Amino acid sequence: MSSIKRLKILEAPADTKQTRGLDVVTVTAFAAVMPPENKHGQVGGKRLILHPLLGNKSTSSLWERRIMQAKIGKENLPKPQNAITIAVSSRALFNMDLEQDIYEQQGMEDYLNYQIQHEMEPFAPGPAFPFIKAVEAVNTRLRELYPDSEELFDVVLMTSNHAHVGLRLINSINHHQLFLERFCMTGGNSPIGYLKAYHTNLYLSADSLKVREAIEAGIAAATVFSPGKITEVPETQLRVAFDGDAVLFSDESERIYKAHGLDKFFEHEKAHENKPLDHGPLKGFLEALGKLQQKFYAKGQRLDCPIRTYLVTARSAASSGTRALKTLRSWGLETDEALFLAGAPKGPMLEKIRPHIFFDDQMFHVEGAAELGTVAAHVPYGIAQKIPPKKDGKKDTSARQLE
Amino acid sequence: MENKKNHAGPLMIALQHDDLFDLNSVSTNTELPKGRAFTFIKAVQTVNERLVEQNKNESLLFEVILITKECSEDVKMKIVESVKHYDLEIGKFYFCKKEELKNTLQSNKVKLFLSTDRDDVHEALHSGISAALLYDQADHRVLKQLKVIFSGDVLGFSEDSLESYLEFELSEKQIETVKAAKICVKEFAVLIGQMRRRFGPENSPICICVLTTWGSRNVCASALKTLREWGLDVDEAFCLAGAPAHPILSIVNPHILWDGGFHNMRDLATLS
Repeated sequence: MSSIKRLKILEAPADTKQTRGLDVVTVTAFAAVMPPENKHGQVGGKRLILHPLLGNKSTSSLWERRIMQAKIGKENLPKPQNAITIAVSSRALFNMDLEQDIYEQQGMEDYLNYQIQHEMEPFAPGPAFPFIKAVEAVNTRLRELYPDSEELFDVVLMTSNHAHVGLRLINSINHHQLFLERFCMTGGNSPIGYLKAYHTNLYLSADSLKVREAIEAGIAAATVFSPGKITEVPETQLRVAFDGDAVLFSDESERIYKAHGLDKFFEHEKAHENKPLDHGPLKGFLEALGKLQQKFYAKGQRLDCPIRTYLVTARSAASSGTRALKTLRSWGLETDEALFLAGAPKGPMLEKIRPHIFFDDQMFHVEGAAELGTVAAHVPYGIAQKIPPKKDGKKDTSARQLE
Repeated sequence: MENKKNHAGPLMIALQHDDLFDLNSVSTNTELPKGRAFTFIKAVQTVNERLVEQNKNESLLFEVILITKECSEDVKMKIVESVKHYDLEIGKFYFCKKEELKNTLQSNKVKLFLSTDRDDVHEALHSGISAALLYDQADHRVLKQLKVIFSGDVLGFSEDSLESYLEFELSEKQIETVKAAKICVKEFAVLIGQMRRRFGPENSPICICVLTTWGSRNVCASALKTLREWGLDVDEAFCLAGAPAHPILSIVNPHILWDGGFHNMRDLATLS
């Protein structure tokens, strides 16, 4: 859209009898011609070329041409129900550590004042930033191959911040040239209802309370943590790594391991090898990624597919791993790579893979991964959680987080 | 600061009686059954209570006047009785013909005319009256907070962003109406902004929201800046970029939805 020059319109002189407004007497500017490289500027397959308008022309046809021109090159966002919607909080997308400290130590008023005073300073990238950038790169490739399809990623900024922080957030989005056009700034209210309204497929937040609320409401969600050191991740290929139990699969096997130990766990898994595990909170997201991968395969892009998925599990290839693979197969899903670590730490393996994000239900693994430079996200689901889910809806007494 | 408070005066809002009371259902009671504007009136009264709590001599309070088209003496009596019965703070009653509406509103310095009927609102906007939709709240619980939504698409309008409005195929006349509506609502916005500032960011009885349904994030930013210039701080902001508005609206659950008639023009199914 920025490649199209604006038409210059001169105001009608005072003595014309026409009504005020945008009536035109003469237009001298040249209406833009579509640059050939602009693949998106096709209107029904034809290219529109406009000629300079001279002399007195009727205003309605000029107006109509302007309308047509405005529509060219506009990439409409997909409807939420057709797209794969990723909701990300402001603290997951941007680094707001300093501001978070101010909020916790000095309270709301000082926090808001600080944000407003620093409105023109864009935030630095946060832990989910590289993931979002990679998601956008996938969208670009998808639009090239399927220009009319709405099966794309749709990124929504879902923050409980007040709109006072809005301008700084929008400035930051502009600065980093993100394609983020949808957002909800809920002014302190819970984002859960809005997540549902957007048919959210994945919610990433830095606030574990909100993430738990989302999981309990049936929305795939994870708490994102900043890596201990910066790792370079690919810009043109989105890489997502998943733990198996209690992330892709239910926590049923983990329960057995916790209750009866490792041997019983192996026995049980071997005996039930052919019985698919129940699904976990992130199965749907893997499924969504798989659908998009199929679209690339259909266009002959299997080898250099811009989406790559990994299963990184503590199960071992020789025994308990079989059930995991068979379960995935029974769902019609697969990951590009499956790594069975047989209990070995996940950090070093992830360091080699360099995924944009790694989902695990156990903080031990999340911390281990983060230490070695992977953006790790905690999925608060299943038996491994130290804090049980709220049973009586009592209000949580910990400081309410604004993000 | 003292002067500001004294000069502010009440913020006049007008309602129609058939929104306040349900005239269709038959009842044997002396009072009329509650209509769709009830939660609004109660929310407004909550705001006034909180304002007076802070300052006994507060002059910037909401004042609601009731407009009624010509009707029988019987109905007139019922209306007055019902207002008393429900203990509603209605400042004045006006029984007037449709043509007199504009004059009645102007002479009473009404800053906002509210109706649950979209066409009514649209007509009022066309004749230069500052008007907004009284949103039919699905949830009739009385909230302790008055929620007002302003359209970011209309407030964020500027000559620079004209191009982005053209995709919506608005005619020149409609663009002019959008510009006029923006100017029209300023007085209301300034006053409610002053009211809003009597409270802090948390625990406020007024909640100001900006909803941008089609405009880009920069249009939304422009709307936020405009409101800030007018002294109105925004609490919640939503930018939909074409996503359906109804699911979001049902969560926000506003009392007042001001969009300068933008959605009528656009005939968007998204807001239904």
